[in-house]
Amino acid sequence: MSDRSVPRYEAALKVTGRAAYEGEVPAVGLLHAALVEVPIARGDVVAVDASEAERTSGFATMVSYADAEPLKPSPATALIRDRAVHFAGQPVALVVADTLSAARDAARAVRVTTQARPSVTHMAQALNTAYVPAMVGRFPSVSNRGDATAALADADRVVRHRYETAANIHHPLEPHAVVCWWEGDKAVVHTSTQAVFGTRAMIAHAFNMPPADIRVISRLLGGGFGCKGQLWWPWMFLAMLAAKKTGRPVRLELTRAQMFRLVGRRQETVQDLALGFSTNGCLTGIAHHVTAQSSTHAEYSDATAVYTRYLYACPNVTTSHLLVRTNEPQPVPMRAPGTAPGLFALESAMDEAAVRLGFDPVDLRVRNFADHDQEAGRPWSSNSLRDCYCIGAERFGWARRPAQGTAVDGRWRIGWGMASTMYPAIRQAAKVRVQLAADGAVLVQCGTQDMGSGTYTALGQITADALGVPVDRVTVELGDTVLPDGPFSGGSQVTASIFPAAAAATAKLRATIAAMAIADEASPLAGQRLDDLEFRDGSIRSRSGNVGEPWANVLARKGTEGLEAEGESGATQHPDLTATSMGYGAVFVEIGVNAGLGEIRVRRVCGAFAAGRILNPLLARSQYVGGLVGGIGMALHERTETDRATGRMLGETLADYLIPTHADMPEFDIALIEEDDPHLPGSVKGIGMLGTAGIQAAIANAVFHAVGKRVRSLPIRIEDVLGRR
Amino acid sequence: MMVETPTTAKGSHADAVATASVVALAFSINGRHCAVETVATAMLLDVIRDQLGLTGTKKGCDLGACGACTVLADGRRVKSCLALAASYDGADITTIEGIGTPDRLHPLQAAFIRHDALQCGYCTPGQILSGIALLAEKPKDIAAIREGMSGNLCRCGAYPNIVAAIAEVAGL
Amino acid sequence: MTSPPFRYARATSVDNAIAKGICNGSAFIAGGTDLLQLWKAGVTAPAEVVDISRLPLSEIDCSNDTLTIGALARLSSVAAHRDVAMHHPLIADTILASASGQIRNMATVGGNLLQRTRCVYFRGQDVPCNKRQPGSGCGARDGVSRQAALFGTSAACVATNASDLAVVLIALDAEINIQGGAGARRVCLSELYRLPGDTPAQDTTLVAGDLITGVIVRNVARFAGRMTYLKVRDRASFEFAVVSVAAALHIENGVIVESRLVAGGIAPLPWRLTQSETMLLGKVPSDAVFVAAGDLAIQGAQPLSENGFKIELLRNSVFRALQTIGGAS
Repeated sequence: MSDRSVPRYEAALKVTGRAAYEGEVPAVGLLHAALVEVPIARGDVVAVDASEAERTSGFATMVSYADAEPLKPSPATALIRDRAVHFAGQPVALVVADTLSAARDAARAVRVTTQARPSVTHMAQALNTAYVPAMVGRFPSVSNRGDATAALADADRVVRHRYETAANIHHPLEPHAVVCWWEGDKAVVHTSTQAVFGTRAMIAHAFNMPPADIRVISRLLGGGFGCKGQLWWPWMFLAMLAAKKTGRPVRLELTRAQMFRLVGRRQETVQDLALGFSTNGCLTGIAHHVTAQSSTHAEYSDATAVYTRYLYACPNVTTSHLLVRTNEPQPVPMRAPGTAPGLFALESAMDEAAVRLGFDPVDLRVRNFADHDQEAGRPWSSNSLRDCYCIGAERFGWARRPAQGTAVDGRWRIGWGMASTMYPAIRQAAKVRVQLAADGAVLVQCGTQDMGSGTYTALGQITADALGVPVDRVTVELGDTVLPDGPFSGGSQVTASIFPAAAAATAKLRATIAAMAIADEASPLAGQRLDDLEFRDGSIRSRSGNVGEPWANVLARKGTEGLEAEGESGATQHPDLTATSMGYGAVFVEIGVNAGLGEIRVRRVCGAFAAGRILNPLLARSQYVGGLVGGIGMALHERTETDRATGRMLGETLADYLIPTHADMPEFDIALIEEDDPHLPGSVKGIGMLGTAGIQAAIANAVFHAVGKRVRSLPIRIEDVLGRR
Repeated sequence: MMVETPTTAKGSHADAVATASVVALAFSINGRHCAVETVATAMLLDVIRDQLGLTGTKKGCDLGACGACTVLADGRRVKSCLALAASYDGADITTIEGIGTPDRLHPLQAAFIRHDALQCGYCTPGQILSGIALLAEKPKDIAAIREGMSGNLCRCGAYPNIVAAIAEVAGL
Repeated sequence: MTSPPFRYARATSVDNAIAKGICNGSAFIAGGTDLLQLWKAGVTAPAEVVDISRLPLSEIDCSNDTLTIGALARLSSVAAHRDVAMHHPLIADTILASASGQIRNMATVGGNLLQRTRCVYFRGQDVPCNKRQPGSGCGARDGVSRQAALFGTSAACVATNASDLAVVLIALDAEINIQGGAGARRVCLSELYRLPGDTPAQDTTLVAGDLITGVIVRNVARFAGRMTYLKVRDRASFEFAVVSVAAALHIENGVIVESRLVAGGIAPLPWRLTQSETMLLGKVPSDAVFVAAGDLAIQGAQPLSENGFKIELLRNSVFRALQTIGGAS
């Protein structure tokens, strides 16, 4: 194992149950909250009557739109300030009481009168209202390169199909929670958020108060995957209003059923994709048009077709995104947003093309490799996708792939499939503070979060490496707005974002210590050249002369309490980039289909990923495997069900919404292909999203390889592959 | 089973079956005796987390479908979110806090760290309690570990590392 | 949203439990793994739960060719019992394919047999369900119906029974002991369940105060080595059956002399495939015969919009189950 594979920083706390999540923060006089929901899918709240609830034991107060009205209007407060109901099961009030059971009893006693109006409960009901949003994330909704229509008309071979993906739910195992209280005009908010500073900004806006008067703390998250952000805020604001009204701390923790409705979802998509080829297997035209769901109270679109603009060399590419507003919960980014559904379509179609054209699926992809970013017309900062294909194929044994439909293992029909994956490597602005104590202890702080992705460990390692100390000398503090501004946790951006800031902070400290040592007559390094010194094993040493001393000694002689420095780095400036940065991967899978019974099980997965320099191979593997497991869930299990008559979601439990279990696990082989990337600080790219995308198509392609059936709709389930005995 | 402590409706020892909406219960938790009074509808999980302040046991789904709330009751792993507290009156309960400390880790806890068998950590206490119970059943191979652990979901996808950690302790 | 709070009472004896159980609004609780889910989801609202978990009804005894399982025996205790594993491996295997290790440590045999449907309308909120709220309609019939039944449905209800164990126990002709206000009785397990008809709220033939006290399974040695429970599901573990088939064959001199075929996941109760069973009698086991049994199994199926695949799945599952146990031993 690599010496970079240090164990997870906070692991000992987590395995002993000592890790405290924010919903568990104790508070004297704590009140417990429960939400009051309405059954209608669309309409208005006429009245919320708490008179019966007030008589229940332990009742403290209720807050509803009447209390939320003073909040500043914004998308984050719309759901609680307005009387409008946008989806079935929407909360319209929050009740607090002495205990959780008392709060639930009180919530049940609240009488809500509503006026229902006709609703749109699924996309197909309102396709005629589809519209083009201005942007999909940071990308334009529509793109045109060359003339895809003409190219497809002229192509020797065209693969044209419709692909569909179901709405998925993030389901971090820790439900959203907040424990909040007011200290005079100041608010303290412990909440499981992927963005402490973003949350603080939204609170400041909603409550019209200075950000400095708000402290948001999120030191540990029990998973996030994209849902612990803005959509949660309205319900958190209600808890804050209740805390203000009662003068007591309030805890709100969502139920698992509420996690299905109140914190976002991966949007449902319908994708029309056409690939045109010349007979020699070169892509001549691509058209990728996406229609997806958004709610009636907010607009969101994944960049689903955006990656089709980049992955392959092709002179003629058109993509577009449409949204349909429905009375269903609001989508938000979820694990590999855009790439997971988009690459399912693109990489499924590439496989269909390979069969049509008579190419090996890997060869067809290599043939269409994009040697530069054709959309922006600039080079890649690095792109090792071909190495991913090559190394992944080698490790998987792709060359021994049996002919389609021929491999069996007992009752199981075996299929192999592969797909590419990619995700942009970008950075957010970040500040990192590093403090050195006179005894050699190091403290590093950043107001970013660790969702379980390893940020504590990565920041500790970066800092330890830069200062030449063992990682166990470094204390890491995250997830608190009293710390320096850190990035939100999402988009596989945190490590890349904090790396340059940490590097800047540690560079300042090294320079300071070195200068102190050189100037210090008592130091063996007195008079040495600055650029001749290095930090290793807790010491500052001369590279050439082999002299040195623990840097703590330098500080100690100065009688200083310690040193502190802050480093800062900026966000990726997209218009100014001279090169486009992405991470890449190739995933190979073997699946089995239980003949006649349609059960699909993934048996073997090899993922080869190239995403810059890997700071910690142990944790990187965990990230990739975790992403692949999420991708298996999306491919084979996960879909929400909604009753079309009422608009109410059904099966709001983890017994109904299936995610993979231990027993569903294949053998995983992860190849980490490291890259030097001169355009990126430390050659660091994000890695988390890469595993989650691509595998859906690899599985679908393997299903075809096993049983000869193309399934173009996720999840792929028994009914899709039931064949002859 | 531990010796039963006379309980239920307050002061009503004569009729140990008195119907009550509040119940007085006694447990052994991690080897320590504790007495609590709680509503009749309280789950063992609620008592452990909210009344005893032992928050290492997690509430993931509250419907028995995720395993984050797994504890040992009289040595058997159970989902404390579906365990009516009153039914466990007198039971010997072990939670993650009773398994090991950062300075004195249980071998399975140490293996979890070595194998990076956790990410966000929220399912971890349940995985470890479930794993300890499974180890006592002496799983014969990796497949038996996977099947035996399937009542514990992990959304981060640490499954292979969890199984590797259990297999190592099992000597497989 | 949880139901209103209930009171708690602990039964001191079977008679005491029955006396309490007869009271309006009371519900027995043993393992609680289903009742508490239903209470938390707002589906069931007992005024009082009567804790029967400490009653002396958890003995497992296998003597005189008869297996007797106390209704309060935990599923895991049954599966791990030496005699069950030796003489009734089908029961042990079926239990181990149910739920999770933790739930099996909590759930009792009696509770398993009485678990309520997993229909998402029944367990849902603000959607119609005649079983949960008589007269509100059946949402599944024209709605989300993948789980729904193919056989035995009514205009009022299309929900399926979710128990694995019941499917197998009915295949093994199990009986149950019941004690109630009217005394004790023993009935075939198959007589416990009823079709929904116009009154789907009632799952069973039990009346208020009735307590299942035990399950009796007679000698099944004649099926030894030729029994299986095939459970088809979307993921590899910890899931209710999409379709399941319990099958047992008694073959003498190369001819099938007795057969059992019961399917799960396709009807409001464990669905005995009588026509297929009868057809098999006197036949020499072969793929052709097993195919014919599968074809007969699906006759009369009434699919809805999303569950039609279960017809083919049932046909294939019957074939697969028979093929698994019908070869040369």
